[in-house]
Amino acid sequence: MTTTPNVMIETKNITKVVTTSEGELQILQPISFKVKAGESVAIIGASGSGKSTLLSLLAGLDQVTEGEIFLGGSPLHSMDEEQRARLRGEKVGFIFQSFMLVQSLTALENIMLPAEIAGLDNAKQLGQDILEQVGLAHRGNHYPNQLSGGEQQRVAIARAFITKPKILFADEPTGNLDAANSEKVESLLFELNRDSDTTLVLVTHDPILAKQCQRQLNMQGGVLTDVTSTDAQSAQQQQAS
Amino acid sequence: MKYGFNLAWRLFKHEAKRGELTIILFAIILSVAAVLSLSLFSERLQGALTAKSAEFIAADRLLESDKPVDPSWISKAKEMGLDTTQQVYARSMVFGNEQMTLTSLRAADDGYPLKGQLKTSTEAFGLGEVTKQLPATGEVWAESLLLQKLALKLGDKIEVGDKEFTLTRVITDVPDSGFSVFGGNPKVLIGLQDLAATHITGPGSRVDYTYFFVGNSADLDDYYDWLRPQLNREIHSWQSVEDDDSRLGRSVGRAEQYFLLASLLAIVLAAVSIAVAAQRYSQRHYDPVAIMKTLGASKQLVQRIYLYQISFITLLGIVLGSIAGFIIQQLVVLAIADKVNVSIDVWHWRPLIIAVFTGMICAVLFSLYPLLKLFSVPPLRVLRRDLGAGMSSRVLQFAATGSAILLLMWAYSQNLQISLILFVSGIVLVCALLAITYGLIALGRKLGQGKMGAWQLAWARIKRRAMDNSVQLISFSVTIMLLLVVLVMRNDMVSQWRDQLPEGTPNYFMSNITEQQRPGLEQHFTQLGVETDVFYPVVRARFVSINGEKIRTEISKEDEEQKDSGRNGLGREANLTWSDTLQNENEIVAGKWLDEWQTGDEYGVSVEERLADRLNIKLDDKLTFNIGSEVVSVTVTSLRSVNWQTMQPNFFFVLQPEAMQGYLPTYITSFHVPTQDKAKIAQLMQPFSSVTLFDVDARINQLRDIVDQVSVAVEFILVLVLIAGSLVLIAQVQASMDERQQELAILRTLGAKGSLIRASVIYEFLIIGSVAGLMAAFANELTLYLLQSQIFEMQGKLHFEYWIIAPLVGAVTVGLLGAAGCWRLLALNTSQLLRKMV
Repeated sequence: MTTTPNVMIETKNITKVVTTSEGELQILQPISFKVKAGESVAIIGASGSGKSTLLSLLAGLDQVTEGEIFLGGSPLHSMDEEQRARLRGEKVGFIFQSFMLVQSLTALENIMLPAEIAGLDNAKQLGQDILEQVGLAHRGNHYPNQLSGGEQQRVAIARAFITKPKILFADEPTGNLDAANSEKVESLLFELNRDSDTTLVLVTHDPILAKQCQRQLNMQGGVLTDVTSTDAQSAQQQQAS
Repeated sequence: MKYGFNLAWRLFKHEAKRGELTIILFAIILSVAAVLSLSLFSERLQGALTAKSAEFIAADRLLESDKPVDPSWISKAKEMGLDTTQQVYARSMVFGNEQMTLTSLRAADDGYPLKGQLKTSTEAFGLGEVTKQLPATGEVWAESLLLQKLALKLGDKIEVGDKEFTLTRVITDVPDSGFSVFGGNPKVLIGLQDLAATHITGPGSRVDYTYFFVGNSADLDDYYDWLRPQLNREIHSWQSVEDDDSRLGRSVGRAEQYFLLASLLAIVLAAVSIAVAAQRYSQRHYDPVAIMKTLGASKQLVQRIYLYQISFITLLGIVLGSIAGFIIQQLVVLAIADKVNVSIDVWHWRPLIIAVFTGMICAVLFSLYPLLKLFSVPPLRVLRRDLGAGMSSRVLQFAATGSAILLLMWAYSQNLQISLILFVSGIVLVCALLAITYGLIALGRKLGQGKMGAWQLAWARIKRRAMDNSVQLISFSVTIMLLLVVLVMRNDMVSQWRDQLPEGTPNYFMSNITEQQRPGLEQHFTQLGVETDVFYPVVRARFVSINGEKIRTEISKEDEEQKDSGRNGLGREANLTWSDTLQNENEIVAGKWLDEWQTGDEYGVSVEERLADRLNIKLDDKLTFNIGSEVVSVTVTSLRSVNWQTMQPNFFFVLQPEAMQGYLPTYITSFHVPTQDKAKIAQLMQPFSSVTLFDVDARINQLRDIVDQVSVAVEFILVLVLIAGSLVLIAQVQASMDERQQELAILRTLGAKGSLIRASVIYEFLIIGSVAGLMAAFANELTLYLLQSQIFEMQGKLHFEYWIIAPLVGAVTVGLLGAAGCWRLLALNTSQLLRKMV
């Protein structure tokens, strides 16, 4: 295992090739980069550029075709589905564009879900605490379809933070929200991220949201480039590649 | 472990509360309720019918013996809680009014009959009334036939053996008198206490001892288990109503087969509905599974959560289904209480066990494949919503569900043949439907072209959802087919029963009508408004040789029409008749019927199969009869099986008419007089005292009574299955409606008019319904043909009317159900619809 200390995510020449009816299609060109612990990184790019695919590989939801990925030092690329699930349960939180709440569980129960899966005994207490933090204490017993989009995303954020994950992946977290709700969700997301010292990887096509992250990586036609202006990050990027 | 359970319980609770489990829960409830109500009802009904049939042997079980049995056998039966009595049968000459005739003597012990009723009257051919007592010492009761033969009246003295009796009542009905028209000689009944004094049971006499037993079936079985090692097959015969090969026995047997069939079909219906529901259930849970996996749940945890959940659903379904099934069954029993007396006091465990087992097996086996698919949903689905289950094997699905259905049917019916018939028909249907679906899709490409209207939308949907539609089409077709099988089978069976005993079936038979009497008798009957049936000519002859080899011709005491045990010869004079036409319920089993016989040197004869077997008569054998001093030789052209239980005259020997020219016959005929006009009989018969009259009115009424009861029961079973089937159809449409929700929401959002959406959905369901109906009609023919020819021993026939009715009814029903489901969805506004989709 060759990972740099204090690095939470490290990729080495990862590629993704899928087979279509018209032959093989390379979605990601070889990509290498590092994300430090506690850093917030935005991956920006147009629809179909491959940014969600990259996110799925980084989170261990899908497997790379070639290359290596280390998540918190663990070699994701050589793990099977079960090991990756365990790793996600221990270290990763998620926020999705379409919220992905379990429709038949209440807001509180959705929030408790990762804690229960992780086997925490105080899931309910943790859930209630964080529900309060996101300002939805009074909505705990409501089902997702009884909540507004903004509220659902706040529930999703609460769910993402309940197990205090080391890494948070967010896929277009404000993509389905209006301006006012977007703003609320964004501030909540970054606030919790700061407080918990979580590493954040955020996929978005919203440049304003991306700007709030410490680093911005641009995905274009499966090629990732660092567009952050700071020299230090630039140097780091070059070093990595 | 704990978390899996908690999570599963929480999901179950909420989903149940929110109505999301309705379809699968409903399917399990339906299957358990249908199987429980059908099998409980049929078990109770069979109990009632067996009890009713028991009246025809006057007991639950009989032990027949050539000798008196060891008294310890009887005391053991009493010890084991059985009621017993006995009767001694003998053929005996009776003297009265300075004449004599052969009678069938019965000496009955106290308690006879244990089942059924003895009916007597105070005049010959009078209306009988139930009589509880037996003849007192020195008294004798006799059938009208004896009074007619010996010109007796009540109060006259008759001699039976060495003892003189006073005739005190006329027997009109004896429960265990069998169904043969010519029940032989007139029955004469005395008390068992008088038998010894008649001295007719001495050495050399042919006497039969019958012991009657009544009790619950477990005790009877225990007793038989005890008795069996001691029985000698040569002289003892143990009988129960189930051994009854009479028409009644066969009707009840057929009804039982029908109930079994109906219950099996209910199981298949239940299986279909659970399979559809389980598939829907699994698809609805793709997202939660992907979310849980993304959040770190192991495959094992996911499996545990859903196995728990399925167990909760199954358990609840079984409990609710059992309650519902019990209530339905109770309601049916109450509804038909005035027609069929079914006891609801006795609780049968077997149906409950079967129902619970069915619910469990269906829930487990039919949700197995959808669950396996569910477990294989990749976590990546949270990002790529188009990803479904990682596993897909239709072959595995069909193999798993198919073998589960077959196993269930086999386990339940313990009849591989009936199970295979239904199963194979099902497979043929499924294959045909798959072919049809793809054919339809190809056709749809042509039909659905042009400007986008409701019709085009309907075709587009059918095309796009090819596989889903094929599953749906299969489930609709199987449901409609099963309903058709139950319906048509019932129609065929009931009409056949009714045909056997139509209104006006002859209930009196006359024999010994001479050629001279015949015109006068016909005229007299016509004047009194009574129609006589066919006159069968009969010539009494002595059967003397087979292929020139002499056979014994002495008359034994055995009555050949009732018993088959004689081996030496016919034992008495034969009744020869002649005809060109084969009688009803007679079937040629070897050779050719007389009209196909090329007359050569000798004329032909058709011989009853069992007699031929007993006397070792083969085709082309030459049989010789003596008629008076004349000799008639005929060649055996055919062997016939004869149903002796039909209410018509039957003959061992039917000769070619040409062979009997020149012989003076007597005639046998029959007529019908309504039971309430019984008084007319004396007037009808008065000028013809030499003609022998046989009264089978009571028998026919009893038979008709049973057939009516069985028909009513069968109809109720049909209604139960129809209700179950309709509910399954509703559930299926409902399930597919949910799948259409998303599309409706999109169309609504895009501004499509409600009328356009509704029309397109209705068209879609009309197309699916009519195709399903048509396919079901074809599959129904195949299934019915196999069932009727292999299991029910009925003549199979095609039912063309259902080829039209089934597609129409299928289209209308499925179309209406689709419209109703669609109306419910369209009643929601667009934003509600979109929310339901989330």
